[in-house]
Amino acid sequence: MGPVGKRLWEVLVCPLSKHPLRYCQETNSLISDAIAVSFPIKNGIPCLVPQDGKILEEQDATDANSSAMNEEHQGRR
Amino acid sequence: MTRHLASYMLRSASACTSRIRHPFAAASFCTDTSTSSSRVKIFDRQLKRKQRDRAAWLMPSNSDDPFLNTVAHNLLDRLQDCKKTFPTALCLGGSLLPVTRSLYTQRTIEKLIVMDASYEMVQLCKNAEDASNNDNIETLYVVADEEFLPIKESSVDLVISCLGLHWTNDLPGAMIQSRLALKPDGLFLAAILGGETLKELRIACTVAQMEREGGISPRVSPLAQVRDAGNLLTRAGFTLPGVDVDEYTVKYESALELIEHLRAMGETNSLFQMNTILKRDTALATAAIYDSMFAEEDGTVPATFQVIYMTGWREHPSQQKAKTRGSATISFKDIQKQFGNHS
Repeated sequence: MGPVGKRLWEVLVCPLSKHPLRYCQETNSLISDAIAVSFPIKNGIPCLVPQDGKILEEQDATDANSSAMNEEHQGRR
Repeated sequence: MTRHLASYMLRSASACTSRIRHPFAAASFCTDTSTSSSRVKIFDRQLKRKQRDRAAWLMPSNSDDPFLNTVAHNLLDRLQDCKKTFPTALCLGGSLLPVTRSLYTQRTIEKLIVMDASYEMVQLCKNAEDASNNDNIETLYVVADEEFLPIKESSVDLVISCLGLHWTNDLPGAMIQSRLALKPDGLFLAAILGGETLKELRIACTVAQMEREGGISPRVSPLAQVRDAGNLLTRAGFTLPGVDVDEYTVKYESALELIEHLRAMGETNSLFQMNTILKRDTALATAAIYDSMFAEEDGTVPATFQVIYMTGWREHPSQQKAKTRGSATISFKDIQKQFGNHS
């Protein structure tokens, strides 16, 4: 569960692609995998204005992916 | 309709400035979206965010703005007319605080998403809610742009926008996105400022600029006209559209107080091609002309705010519809025969 309320947070999607967002605990940000952009979460408030988003480099994206997967893995254990 | 409104806005905006920025001139990746290719930039959205940040800092001292409260109250009054309840509501930017405050007192809403393009404004609402200790309504705060709505399709029952949408460059686009975010039979409620707003200030600015600078540049933003509002709702695909207009006259001690109030509401000019230099001379002349042309007997100066209220629903089979042409089984002549004799 992210820092935002769980049920309501499912309503949020990427503002540009309208695809689902993924919460990355490590960087405390919301990541849109469809366009490889990360949106910061400041003080528990997700900032989803396109200008606030950072374009993820290919490397970062895969790193973030693997770390997220690791977390999931650990969570299951 | 986009074209029509945009061209109207441009015409009035560019009356005296010749250069129009190319929509793709700004090197930001968000301008290059496939949804709308021929977009015109009228308002500087980044500047508007900053203005709203500042408005949030000014807000605590005058959080009981009677004008904003009246508009919010009038807008939410429309909810009382509906038998339907709206468990999940999305509140778009604009005058957020008065809207959320009165939504908390209404018991019909269970979940609320509060959204604004300004982080400070959202934080202000969050602090206000934390202070009020409200546990009944589950609230989610998001910083987002109305033109890029980050809400899943068919997920909310109600979209409220109180005095925010008139600053969007792509108003039809923002309204279409709101409609998509609504569940079927969901309600869209919006209040925007109309073209008659601040007509006194428009006149005073023009006269003062002509007098002191020998030419004019737009000081007051172009706004939508009432006749456009209905078209906008239909264009965005809302059913059972409804538009009504209210005019409020707010009295100030002088034109300078009016500007202070506009700043506190975050409603100051954010035109993309505005002349950023305002000479002290011209500003004082504007205030003097405003006073001499419009002052009332008691020494106050009035300012007109025209608010356009729009309601629209997302399509649903249960809504009433007009029957198809030629499907009537009774002639009007027969009806007249039946009822005409009595009168």
